[in-house]
Amino acid sequence: MIRKAWRECPVTLRVAIATGALMVLLGLIASQQVLSTLSSLQNERLREVAQSHVGGLKVALGSFVLHRDVWEVYDALDRAGSEGAGARILFSAVADDRGRVLASSDPARAPIDFEFEALLNDAVPVQEVTASEGRNSVRIVEPLLVQGREVGSLLTELDVSDLLAQRRSTSLALLAANSVATLLLALAGYWIVARLLRPVELLTSQMGASGVAPQQIPAEDIAKTDPAFAPLLHNFNSMIDAIDAQREAERRLADRERFVSLGRLSSSLAHEINNPLGGLLNATDTIRTYSDRPDVVRSSVDILDRGLKHLRDVSRAILEENRRDRSNARLSFEDFDDLKVLFEPEANRHGQQLDWNVDPERSTASAFPSAPIRQIALNLLLNASSAAGKGGHVGFAAHANANGLDLKVTDNGPGFSEHARQRLLSETPVEPGGGVGLRLVRELVSELGGEIALERSGDLTNILVHLPKRAPDQ
Amino acid sequence: MRRRDFINSAAATMAVSLPFVARAAAPFRLGLTPVFLDNDALIIDRLRSSVSAAMGEPAVLIQRRTYQEITAMLLDGSVEAAWICGFPYLQHQDRLTLIGVPQWRGRPLYQSYLITGAGDTAKSLADLKGGTHAFSDPDSNSGYLVTASDLARAGSTPVEFFARTIYTYGHRNVVRSVAGGLTRSGSVDGYVWETLAQVEPSLTQRTRVVARSEWMGFPPFAARKDRAASESVRRFATVLKSLDASEVGREVLALLYLDKILEGEESLFDSIKLRMADLPERR
Repeated sequence: MIRKAWRECPVTLRVAIATGALMVLLGLIASQQVLSTLSSLQNERLREVAQSHVGGLKVALGSFVLHRDVWEVYDALDRAGSEGAGARILFSAVADDRGRVLASSDPARAPIDFEFEALLNDAVPVQEVTASEGRNSVRIVEPLLVQGREVGSLLTELDVSDLLAQRRSTSLALLAANSVATLLLALAGYWIVARLLRPVELLTSQMGASGVAPQQIPAEDIAKTDPAFAPLLHNFNSMIDAIDAQREAERRLADRERFVSLGRLSSSLAHEINNPLGGLLNATDTIRTYSDRPDVVRSSVDILDRGLKHLRDVSRAILEENRRDRSNARLSFEDFDDLKVLFEPEANRHGQQLDWNVDPERSTASAFPSAPIRQIALNLLLNASSAAGKGGHVGFAAHANANGLDLKVTDNGPGFSEHARQRLLSETPVEPGGGVGLRLVRELVSELGGEIALERSGDLTNILVHLPKRAPDQ
Repeated sequence: MRRRDFINSAAATMAVSLPFVARAAAPFRLGLTPVFLDNDALIIDRLRSSVSAAMGEPAVLIQRRTYQEITAMLLDGSVEAAWICGFPYLQHQDRLTLIGVPQWRGRPLYQSYLITGAGDTAKSLADLKGGTHAFSDPDSNSGYLVTASDLARAGSTPVEFFARTIYTYGHRNVVRSVAGGLTRSGSVDGYVWETLAQVEPSLTQRTRVVARSEWMGFPPFAARKDRAASESVRRFATVLKSLDASEVGREVLALLYLDKILEGEESLFDSIKLRMADLPERR
């Protein structure tokens, strides 16, 4: 879902989002680095503060501890905790060399002779002090030395809440500044990328959505874009020209093909017209000779009537074939009758057996346009006839049902050559000299959204065309 | 710097007006035991300057951490006179003489207080057995002798009776020790405790007086007997006893919460003598 939405997003937006994401990543990495540096700097500061407090006490306490002077130790701790900078000292305790408390700033918590070890918990030497989030104090334990000899220990609990608060506020300020910088960079990235990609966007919009023909890029738009892109856009316009020219050529070729089809039928159709003419002329002679015999005249007129009606049907079918491409007529039974009238003489001429099986359901058939389907059927029949050869077999079937319209053309010829197959089934360019009949079938079927299948069963070649059901107004 | 300037200019003035004194040259040296507000530089300075002005010669006030040091300085002549405690005075009565006894609240007497933390339920010394205890100084009457002799009368000693004893070398420190919870109880000069109750009530409010001793002679000013007749000692004794007569002197007395300095009599210290009798090793 997200991937689809991402792919459908305009490329400029996608690049800008990617740029923004990279900036955010950069911001995060930078923030992490700075926070880490800040943290180590603050730890150093913390150690300095701790060192200054502990250092002073150590100097003051050394000799008192050596003499185990309880009062002086207490006095020193009490004064250190109550005077000015000592506000940071929350608690302190001093032990002698036996590990017993001599005095502490809070005798209720650590009375004289209390077990010093029990007070230590997580206390660390001053050089290992670090500020950890969520704890507002640090506990430091340091040895007390007199002339290099350890005479006792000092435990100090320092209030570092101000340092931590400072660290928090600095971190927040930093994150806020980084967020703003990241946002600005992302916006700047979007603006720059959008500007750089404007020609691409122009190209994309003129290229059109699928099914919509690409449009020329107006010259004034090209003038406004980056000069580096101008040749590309000019080339695009040239390509559009070339595509238009090709379309026009194809259209003319398709038109010509219709006449080619008729041309291929012309000989048969001429015979179809010529053959009855002998009979008709005989009938007129008979009428002239036996004008006084009403029964002979009547039967001759019947012959004349049938012959002329046949001629009328043939000429109507030819006229219809010519007229169809200019009309928007819908497909009907008569179209297949016309096709039979046109094609049957050709089959007869080659002594071919023609199986004709048409039962289009009226409402479904009328949803299709007449002209392209007549063209598809006629081209396939002519192809089948020439493949079947003298005395061959050609079959045509048309069935309409709820799924659409199925056409089937069968012959007992040798089957499709590779070139013929490509013309009918693929989009590969048509090689010169091969004719365009089959390729035209393919294009017409594609335009109607249909499919073509070619199969060989026994000695029969079957071409199956399926045209999906369509709304009548399509 | 300022003080030295003052001393120099005062000396110069006196050299003009008091040629005899100027020839005496050496300033008058007074030893002070840390009787009470030993941390109060203002009082020390006022006392020095008023004594100096009244005597017409520069005076130097000398403080030491322990009573013993001041007593030793008095005995070896390092100071001409000293404000000491009745206990060391009696210890060296054969070599010392009284030159004045302060009068506090109408009498030259004071008491020793036995104090505990404000929340402590002890009703007498006996209830404090096994606790920690703060003494002021081993040579202090109120800050040691009274409690030690009380224990001796009960057949005990501080070391046996208390789990631990410490010396704070200052009566105010005894109050701090008890108020801060460092020790459960303490022996303190009643005059100091009462004065602190006025100037630093937040400190004394955290303590409670469990027992008060009998009235005893107030810590006296003393000089060596063989120097008592010297000009400077006699003049100092006169100045002391006439402090309440001058404005500056009354100011100093007011700072010390004292009425005046009396002549004083040996008999004032009889009760201390009785207690000393109970501690034969400290006589």
